[in-house]
Amino acid sequence: MISEISSIIGLRVYTDEGRYVGKVEDLVIDMEKKIITGIAMIEYNRTLIDKKSGVIIPYRLVKSVGDIVIVKDVFKKKKEKEEEKRAKISF
Amino acid sequence: MRVFARSLAKKTVLLSDGTVVGILHNITADLRTGMLLNIIVKPAKNTNIPELEKQDGFYVIPFETVKSISDYVVVDKKLLKKY
Repeated sequence: MISEISSIIGLRVYTDEGRYVGKVEDLVIDMEKKIITGIAMIEYNRTLIDKKSGVIIPYRLVKSVGDIVIVKDVFKKKKEKEEEKRAKISF
Repeated sequence: MRVFARSLAKKTVLLSDGTVVGILHNITADLRTGMLLNIIVKPAKNTNIPELEKQDGFYVIPFETVKSISDYVVVDKKLLKKY
């Protein structure tokens, strides 16, 4: 889909599993490769992203852009891994 | 070099020979792949550059011809002729 990049700013980002990730604040552009490399986010979901500020997610996770942005759910795996670790420790 | 898209807004666009084209208005991209396609430039007053394609009163310049972006956006005039 060809569009002006200002149209993506302000859109809400969800994962393909339906979880809210955040809101698009800005895009990171690689000048040499001439591609968008990342999405800078605000108002992000703190249960998924445990960071105080400056969250940039890689653009390769983006699946589609329309009224909202859909990204691949990579957060689930992280959480599951943590839970696995915890489970191992408790054993 | 990586830059934020917002930091590019309202930068002056120049040709490599020093001609002022106008002010950067927007950038078009394929949002699925992230490929940048064109820059959209709001023309400065009294500009008439025959090499550039105009759409709805804005110059549409292929991103391939953009040489560098720092304080100004510089478009390579030689590359422009190929498009």
